[in-house]
Amino acid sequence: MNLGIDLGSRKAKFALVQEGHVIRLADHDTVPFYKRYGRLEGEELVLDLAASGLFSAEELEGATVVVTGYGRNTLSLRGARVVSEIRAHVAGALAQTGLADFTLLDMGGQDTKVALVKAGKLTDFVMNDKCAASSGRYLENMAAILEVSLAELSSHWHDPVPLDATCGIFGESELIGQILRGYPVERLCAGVNQTLVKRVLPMLRRFPSETVVLTGGVAHNRALVRLLEEATGRTLVVPEHPQHNGAIGCASM
Amino acid sequence: MHRVGFTTTIPLEIVLAAGMTPVDLNNVFITSPHATRMIEEAEVDGFPRSICGWIKGIYAAVVECGIHELIAVTEGDCSNTRALMEVLSLKGVETIPFAYPHDRDPAGLRFEIEKLMRRFGVGWDAVKLSRERLGRIRRKVKEIDRLTWDENRVSGQENHYFQVCTSDMNSDPDRFEAEVDAFLEKARQREPFRQRLRLAYIGVPPIMTDLYPFVETLDARVVFNETQRQFAMPFDTPDLVEQYRAYTYPYDIFHRLSDILMELERRKVDAVIHYVQSFCFRQIEDMIVRQKLPLPVLTLEGDKPGPLDARTRIRIEGFLEMLA
Ligand code: SF4
Repeated sequence: MNLGIDLGSRKAKFALVQEGHVIRLADHDTVPFYKRYGRLEGEELVLDLAASGLFSAEELEGATVVVTGYGRNTLSLRGARVVSEIRAHVAGALAQTGLADFTLLDMGGQDTKVALVKAGKLTDFVMNDKCAASSGRYLENMAAILEVSLAELSSHWHDPVPLDATCGIFGESELIGQILRGYPVERLCAGVNQTLVKRVLPMLRRFPSETVVLTGGVAHNRALVRLLEEATGRTLVVPEHPQHNGAIGCASM
Repeated sequence: MHRVGFTTTIPLEIVLAAGMTPVDLNNVFITSPHATRMIEEAEVDGFPRSICGWIKGIYAAVVECGIHELIAVTEGDCSNTRALMEVLSLKGVETIPFAYPHDRDPAGLRFEIEKLMRRFGVGWDAVKLSRERLGRIRRKVKEIDRLTWDENRVSGQENHYFQVCTSDMNSDPDRFEAEVDAFLEKARQREPFRQRLRLAYIGVPPIMTDLYPFVETLDARVVFNETQRQFAMPFDTPDLVEQYRAYTYPYDIFHRLSDILMELERRKVDAVIHYVQSFCFRQIEDMIVRQKLPLPVLTLEGDKPGPLDARTRIRIEGFLEMLA
């Protein structure tokens, strides 16, 4: 049995995998999770997984633990093998989709990664740098301003209101300006989703494969999938557990 | 002794022939324990956020070490230098422009060199003598470079350090030569390094402080430092004008690329790190670099002095894993 852990900026994600089958998935908000069950011993992070109650004692007993995530460089997790995020996500996409040639677009809480996979191997990748305005956190902020749920925000793609600020924070005031102009909330939501497409398109253009595999929490955004398909003309594949892709990847390595 | 500052490599031979102390302001800035504060001070004085950190660092270095005379490279380096020069002259610093002709025209370069000689009141005989003296040190640094890629006895950081210091010979050629000698002796007796991946570092020297040791923890080592090696003038050239024509840094990207391509092959490099400075015009050249180099390229961007940030570490790690 393998336990994969993906310590993301917003959520810690867990996947229990046995012989290629996902047995169970779990997640927990990162900060409270660290506060409650984590502590530092020297340079090492120690997670009290048993106390978290996410897994049974037998499960933890027999499992090999593989971990990835943002803390990977600053922290090492006691008793676990640590792998880089990009490798974990590619492994997850391979395991979940069975595809061998694709462009992986992973959109998480803060990060957007684009990786080119050929014949099952990672051949090149780029990451968003210095700006998180194409991430889950950005969507959460915008949903809060529009006073809609993330699910509501993610369901509108028709006739987007143009939003052009390159910065997520300035984007908020731009959005407020458009609210004042009286656009319907559906079109404002679509506009927000459209900004994500604009930000990731240049990265996707660098890696022109037929298929794009979309993972990360943002992959739950149906409007984004639709808008991306339109903008790229490529086939979009969203695996069954997009948000747990990194954790599944860890567990299947 | 009278100190003369400069903004990037200039014909050092002239400054030394004139009996003055050369000070590469980039080195003053980046080795200062408060390099970060220096940038902030330059910004307080009015330098925009969106201007390269090296320019602000040079400005602060001039102010901090009380340089009164400055050779500013106005052509062949950065166009920001011109405005920097203007700001500094307003502060009472005497600025002396020096231009590398874009087309590497020998007559044009000779003219610039002789102009600088006149400015410092030295003739060709004195300049030749100081070129010979520097040539001796440069050959030793070239040996350090060879030990890096040929015998694997020198780390990427050491290679970087010794070559970068040749721009002003640490302001004291004799002392620097003694340091080089001591290092050579030590390095020759070492066990060779065994990292599996051989990397090239191209672009301006890194503003971050721990790039080399970090890649070495990941089973990789930099065996080619492009610009730093250029500072050390490793070519056999008949005279000073040819020496500064062979120097690639101030000329166009294609001249630089032919040198890079040759070294990548000679040094059996596996992959390239292209460093670009935030807000630098050379970022645009990354497009050409990526097209022309036959190896995987990771483009890293740095902004301010300090250790690598977590994101950059993640990217380096992913890149090196991909090669494995
Ligand atoms: S890094 Fe670029 S912008 Fe900065 S001083 Fe050098 S050439 Fe100019």
